[in-house]
Amino acid sequence: MTTNDRILVLGLGNPLMSDEGIGGFLIEEFIRQKDKSPNVDFLDAGTGGMTLLTLIENRKKVIIIDCAYMGTEPGTIKRFTPQEVNSMKKLMHYSLHEIDILKVLVIAKKLDTCPPNVVIFGIEPFAVELRPQISNTLRKKIDIYIDEISLDFNHYIKVPPKNQP
Amino acid sequence: MTDLNINVKHITRVEGHGNIVVNAKEGKVEQVEWQVPEAPRFFEAMVRGRSYEDIQTIVSRICGICSISHSLVATKAVENALGIEVSEQTDKIRLILHYAEQLQSHVLHVGYLAVPDFFGAPSVVPLVSKATDAVKTIIRAHRVANNWSDLVGGRTTHPITIIPGGFTVIPSEDQFRQLQGTLRETLKDLGTIAEVVLSVAENIPDFTRDTEYISLSDPARYSFYHGGIASTDTNEIVLVKDWHSVTNEFVVDQSTAKWAKWHRNSYAVGALARFNNNADQLTDASKGVAKMLGLEKGCCNPYFNNIAQIVECVYVVENAIKLIDEVLTAGLKNEVVKTSPKAGRGAAAVEAPRGILFHEYEFDSNGNCVAADLCIPTNQNHANIQDDFEKLVPEFMGEGEDALRQKLEMLVRSYDPCISCSAHMLNVKFV
Repeated sequence: MTTNDRILVLGLGNPLMSDEGIGGFLIEEFIRQKDKSPNVDFLDAGTGGMTLLTLIENRKKVIIIDCAYMGTEPGTIKRFTPQEVNSMKKLMHYSLHEIDILKVLVIAKKLDTCPPNVVIFGIEPFAVELRPQISNTLRKKIDIYIDEISLDFNHYIKVPPKNQP
Repeated sequence: MTDLNINVKHITRVEGHGNIVVNAKEGKVEQVEWQVPEAPRFFEAMVRGRSYEDIQTIVSRICGICSISHSLVATKAVENALGIEVSEQTDKIRLILHYAEQLQSHVLHVGYLAVPDFFGAPSVVPLVSKATDAVKTIIRAHRVANNWSDLVGGRTTHPITIIPGGFTVIPSEDQFRQLQGTLRETLKDLGTIAEVVLSVAENIPDFTRDTEYISLSDPARYSFYHGGIASTDTNEIVLVKDWHSVTNEFVVDQSTAKWAKWHRNSYAVGALARFNNNADQLTDASKGVAKMLGLEKGCCNPYFNNIAQIVECVYVVENAIKLIDEVLTAGLKNEVVKTSPKAGRGAAAVEAPRGILFHEYEFDSNGNCVAADLCIPTNQNHANIQDDFEKLVPEFMGEGEDALRQKLEMLVRSYDPCISCSAHMLNVKFV
């Protein structure tokens, strides 16, 4: 299978569960300005679980945006690689509906289909509850998130300086 | 005499899980419970006030595995409420898309949850090293299903092409032909997967309980999308609009999810239910796989749900190849869909991979939703899991706590309950 040189930016989560949907929310923002980054694919992968396994295979670089409990202040964004964290999630393996992206990456690695470069942006939620809107805490920081994540593919795009029209 | 204390519990703040609780003293069973303590999600409230055109997009987020089924059933219910007719082409292409999700979900379920059990592996992760070729074949079939969903639904998960009245865009003739070629190859992989399962089939627990099985049934075909509601207990077919008379949802102390019953205390839905109601309508190849794996109509071993899923994989791939031929022979038409708001109420049912799924909506004259009622297959299976537990525990308690716990967990897995899929956030600690 041939390698896909295009960077894939994946947003994960459920937009009906408030800040849990921050991944997809940011993907929509990126898609609005996708002309700036012609070599990047943006995908709202929702809560597709194991489907991620085939979405990421043979990409050179994958950037994952997800809501994450990291023990930090709500709204905090952190950039990390899968090697830099341990998952604290306990899976029961009862159901396909349980999923942990870190586990998907372990399987991909074992199958030799894991992209060599995987970066995760975790965003600490303020609220994870049944509400189809992002909390104000995160909403106020959208520009910061966009700028910070864009740095990971900024050699493809030119972000205009903030003070210029 | 045997003492048992099985207490498999895990509750997080948002993601629900099922708990297995079994207690026995001196060989006497004191407590057997299948508990579902997930936080209620109230999706019905979420769609109130929203336009009929937005419903399928919102409800596709209820589940990341069954998002196509939720989109399709919502769209059908909206169309029934507003009196919107769809063309034969739309009906067939929707069915082709629906088949993609059956393959996607079944292959995942068999490959990532059931097969590790049959191989005696704790999860699919160690199985990758233990049975690499089998896992690669499963992933190849899964990839086909993902690409198939993407082609027709516009996205691998949470489809975006389905709208009331039709599609926003459909694949071209070339794309359909290419898909057909891929599906023919996939039939070979499915044969391989069936053989892998056959090689470890002796590890499927020998357990049966006389059960009522509920599914859609349609004289024209083995149904996932059309027809009325059938039960293995009767010859009666209930119209979908009367679905409440089938589900009879009720509340129990041990669960925040509603349970369901029809002619008995419980019933089962899913692949085995469809098989038990409609097996005569399968294709020759899918019947052959059922025979090879020892699945016969009337089977009441819940662990065989996974076997029925393999049979259905073959059926949906074969039938999709046939449907594509029919659509292309008739000539692909770019249909312009025009709908307008109207007051009305409508219900619909489709077979999600894990069983019959009902949606019902009511709209005001502006086409805004004023009421919604959804009943998912997992909730319909909870009472049945409880009844299975009650028969299984006394039968197998002599094998000891570990073996019994394993059987109970495998039983839950065989139903693949959708109890933790609304939120998937990471929970990490930096090293």
